[in-house]
Amino acid sequence: MAEETILTDDSLRELMNVGEVDILVGVPTYNSANTVGPVVQAIRAGLLKYFPRQRAAIINPDGGSNDATQELVRAASISDMQHAAHPQALRTLHSISTRYEGNPGSAKALYTILAAADLLHPTACAVISADSNVEPDWIPRLLQPVYRDNLDLITPLYRRHKFDGLLVRNVAYPMIRALYRKCVREPYSSEVAFSGRLGSHLLGRDIWSEDMGFSGGELFLTIAAINDSFRIAQVFLGSKDGLDHAPADLVRAMRDTVAPLFSALEHSPPAPASSSECASVPSIGGNAEITLEPRRINRKRLYEMFANGVVELEPVLKVILSPPTLTELQHGATKGEGEFCYSDELWVRTVYEFAASYHKSVISRDHIIQALAPLYRGKIHTFLLTNRDADGAEVEGNVETLCLAFERFKPYLDDLWNGRK
Amino acid sequence: MALSQDPLWYKDAIIYQVHVRAFYDSNGDGIGDFVGLAQKLDYLKDLGIDTVWLMPFFPSPLRDDGYDIADYRSVHLNYGTLGDFKAFLDAAHQRGIRVIIEMVLNHTSDQHPWFQESRSSRNNPRRDWYVWSDTDTKFRGTRIIFLDTELSNWAWDPVSKQYYWHRFFSHQPDLNYDNPAVREEMWDVMRFWLAMGVDAFRLDAVPYLIEREGTNCENLPETHAIMKDFRARLDREFPGRMFLAEANQWPSDLRQYFGSGDEFHAAFHFPLMPRMFMGLKLEDRKPITEILQQTPEIPETCQWLLFLRNHDELTLEMVTDMERDYMYDEYARDKSMRLNLGIRRRLAPLLDNDRRRMELMNGILMSLPGTPIIYYGDEIGMGDNVNLGDRNGVRTPMQWDGGWNGGFSSADPEKLYSPLMLNPVYGFQAVNVASQKRFEHSLLSWTKRMVKVRRSTPVFGRGSIEFLYPANHRVLAYVRRWQKETILVVNNVSSAAQAVELDLRPYKGNILIEMFGRNIFPRIGDLPYLLTMGPYQFYWFRLRKI
Amino acid sequence: MWEKFVFELRLATQEIVRNIAQFLPRLMVTLIIVIIGWVAAWLLKTIVRSILRLARFDRLSEDAGATQLLRKAALPSSSELLSRFVFWVAWIGFIMVGVSVLGIVSLQPHISNFFAYLPRLFAAFFLVFFGLLAASFFSRATLLAAVNAGAPSPRLISSTVRTLITILGISMAFEELGLAERTVLIAFGLIFGALLFGLALAFGLGGRDLARRFLEKRFSREAHQEEREDELSPL
Repeated sequence: MAEETILTDDSLRELMNVGEVDILVGVPTYNSANTVGPVVQAIRAGLLKYFPRQRAAIINPDGGSNDATQELVRAASISDMQHAAHPQALRTLHSISTRYEGNPGSAKALYTILAAADLLHPTACAVISADSNVEPDWIPRLLQPVYRDNLDLITPLYRRHKFDGLLVRNVAYPMIRALYRKCVREPYSSEVAFSGRLGSHLLGRDIWSEDMGFSGGELFLTIAAINDSFRIAQVFLGSKDGLDHAPADLVRAMRDTVAPLFSALEHSPPAPASSSECASVPSIGGNAEITLEPRRINRKRLYEMFANGVVELEPVLKVILSPPTLTELQHGATKGEGEFCYSDELWVRTVYEFAASYHKSVISRDHIIQALAPLYRGKIHTFLLTNRDADGAEVEGNVETLCLAFERFKPYLDDLWNGRK
Repeated sequence: MALSQDPLWYKDAIIYQVHVRAFYDSNGDGIGDFVGLAQKLDYLKDLGIDTVWLMPFFPSPLRDDGYDIADYRSVHLNYGTLGDFKAFLDAAHQRGIRVIIEMVLNHTSDQHPWFQESRSSRNNPRRDWYVWSDTDTKFRGTRIIFLDTELSNWAWDPVSKQYYWHRFFSHQPDLNYDNPAVREEMWDVMRFWLAMGVDAFRLDAVPYLIEREGTNCENLPETHAIMKDFRARLDREFPGRMFLAEANQWPSDLRQYFGSGDEFHAAFHFPLMPRMFMGLKLEDRKPITEILQQTPEIPETCQWLLFLRNHDELTLEMVTDMERDYMYDEYARDKSMRLNLGIRRRLAPLLDNDRRRMELMNGILMSLPGTPIIYYGDEIGMGDNVNLGDRNGVRTPMQWDGGWNGGFSSADPEKLYSPLMLNPVYGFQAVNVASQKRFEHSLLSWTKRMVKVRRSTPVFGRGSIEFLYPANHRVLAYVRRWQKETILVVNNVSSAAQAVELDLRPYKGNILIEMFGRNIFPRIGDLPYLLTMGPYQFYWFRLRKI
Repeated sequence: MWEKFVFELRLATQEIVRNIAQFLPRLMVTLIIVIIGWVAAWLLKTIVRSILRLARFDRLSEDAGATQLLRKAALPSSSELLSRFVFWVAWIGFIMVGVSVLGIVSLQPHISNFFAYLPRLFAAFFLVFFGLLAASFFSRATLLAAVNAGAPSPRLISSTVRTLITILGISMAFEELGLAERTVLIAFGLIFGALLFGLALAFGLGGRDLARRFLEKRFSREAHQEEREDELSPL
């Protein structure tokens, strides 16, 4: 098990000094000096205000930053060594920063946090990404249901623009909902809280010995929680800052989201369903909200990249997709921007065929993910067009329709997966 | 056995706080007395005590446990005569034990002849000895100290139809220190006792002597001037005696009471005490180190007095609201334990009768810079009775043995000044001196050994302190130094075993010698010094280079 | 004289018979070896075929694009081809051993050369095979990257990469086999160099604007803003 090597001697020493805690907050970083300062300060303020009597610690698994990231994290600690009275702080707050070996990757960072949690046995843990726009009162919203009410996983709900988070809305959410039968709106998010129980359970799973470099660690949490019947709830946090923190690269985003999703289907296959209904997950503090302010988006370019991709990637797509699907796509690529519509059904088939091909590794898996990018652009083009003048309820309705399509085609995925097609 | 002649004797002292009424009854009237107290001096000597601090024993209506004095130059009938007191004083001195008595300067009982005269008419010569006013609006903004019983610092006198000022109970009118006659009279009172041989005064409620409009009537410069004057007279006429200040203030405010070594010799460090308990519950040394970081330097000849408990409630005046709530929730869940912004419990009940915690707290008490005070009964782990009202729950009779009245008095139990502790955990049959004397492992025997080790070196009372800040916040570690001696103290304030690495590089090459067992620990090298400690354990190490 | 002739003839015939008698057993042994060799080679071929099937060699070769090439040349599948190749190599090996038994001296060095040559043959084979595999992989990677970056003529770039790597692989195989080493080396160098030179020229001259835009995107903020309006936050 990699456990023996992920915590260096220095990390272990720091953990020894922290000792047992009630609450552990992890902030993974890699060259995040631009954004991590306000994040740790917000976490610290939230802990001081809402959990003043609890023993808490902030742990930062760092992938080898060569900027001021680690100093910024350490600056959030509160101790008598600073020789300044903290009238608002009853206790010492450790804010430690440790390096894990090898290349940076969110799965490794999550593993470090889980290992630390295993040693410090907190009741409640949270993982907050280094570029999150977290505020102090998000801390109690995330942690109290775990700490006080004994829930196991808390995923967030946001107030977002209707055109933000499209990858989650069009791929991750519907797929997890269809396959795992739980309506978790943000299965992969930059703020999440979980119980020590769930953390230990995940640590003991066999998924860590594989390639630990890739991203999407938080997805494992969600899927493990669903699969193994842990208690999940969603909590409304606030506005999610979309644009500032968008990874500039769609392919990278897909590697972060879709690749782990497809992998998860393999090593955490969905438990056999008892009912075909998707179990709703309770929401605390409000439901997800959609804002509608106008946005300038270059739809034409999206279609062009889609069409271009379908044409140029034909030799690759031929290996991944089934002939009818590919034909339909090629047809769509020639239709022209005004006429083209990437229907829900076509999209579902696309995604499922990609998932099956990923599972069978028909070609290199990373190439499969890259090949999906232009097709995704096509789907988004249709999404934008359909929802151009839609209000929040309509958008929700359209997403719901897509989810149902994913559920309807589940047998199709089963057939593909087991090689019957 | 003569008294040591060192003018700084109070820096090396181990003080035992006791109420004569609670210690030992020699004449069977149910109330402790000086004859009895004198008979128990050997017990104190055996414990290692060299200074006794007596609670007020003056004639008094006893509505504030003797702090309401009706005659400054006598002894309350219950406790004996002035001659009995003198005999006790001499017996103590013969055993090398000094005596500190109370001197309540700020106020008298309303039964005191002075007040009786003062209130009789507006023209009485002693009218001006107290603080009178037509209205009760003067000195607004002054806080009320006994919040649970008093609504105002002014009380209406129906006799002379004016308000009189009282910072404490309404039956304790404040003396008027702006009147020189008052000042002279009070010095005369002090001289009376000093001439008899008393070694020191604990001056009660000193911050409140003077009132001025537009202030909070505490710590005023005029108050300090008065005290400096008294001190000058003391040094002139009775060198080697001591003034001890009772001032429940923040450390920076307390500093003023030392002046430049020309005011009080010593003062209680009030803010430290609740933080010791807080640190223990939090399992975090932060409250303790932070208050000591904020404690100012005091003149060479001055001293802090440290204590865990005393006759009053565990005061939470000098903590923040959040800290107070925490202390209430952790130490006084039962609201009847709370009084006047404090907690009225003894040491053992506060620490859940946990022997290890009691040892740790005593260890910290005896190793921090200052003179330690042991409250009577805490050396055997006596319990408290919150049902006795006010703060009487921590002032029950001393438990000497498991027999009649716990060996305190031969009177009928119903006649005792206060009921005994009876429950199976803290009752006199479970907790008493005689049974603890039989065993080496009893709390009493342990305390005796602890005092002995403490007294084996003047470093603890006189030395400097330098905190080490190991990254493990559950370990409180500091180095005490004086002249050529260096002692390392390490305390684990948590309930679980701990490993701690100390940076002892400045002391490299020294061998650590544990002071209780005198065993050798490894020499300090370049690497961080690793210590492993059991729950609530502490080490005292003498550093030696051989 | 007739008797002498007959006598000599009889001697010669005896000589021939003796030689034949000496030779025949060896021939028998040779034949036996050849037959055993055939059986062994056939067994080996079967084993190799099963191993390849288990290792999904066909899939791998499809990836490499080798299957397509073979199909175009109307050859059987790669695992079949490889097993047959193994069969022939093994059988020829045995035949060589058999021939060496015959003791025909002039053939000996050729026989040992043959055996010495075998490893290089296999090495060359693998060079070509893995060269094809790498070419396929990298050409696909280039294609995907180019398409996703919106670069012009992604297919052209992709094929170029594939060709280059294939040529590299084949050249290395030829070098390994020791066939026309210098010619191949020079030819390869010329082609490769020319191709790169051409690319550099094209990129430098024609791609000036592209390069400028690329640098701007990296180092200036305003260009970034413009990009951002088009990019949505996927997450």
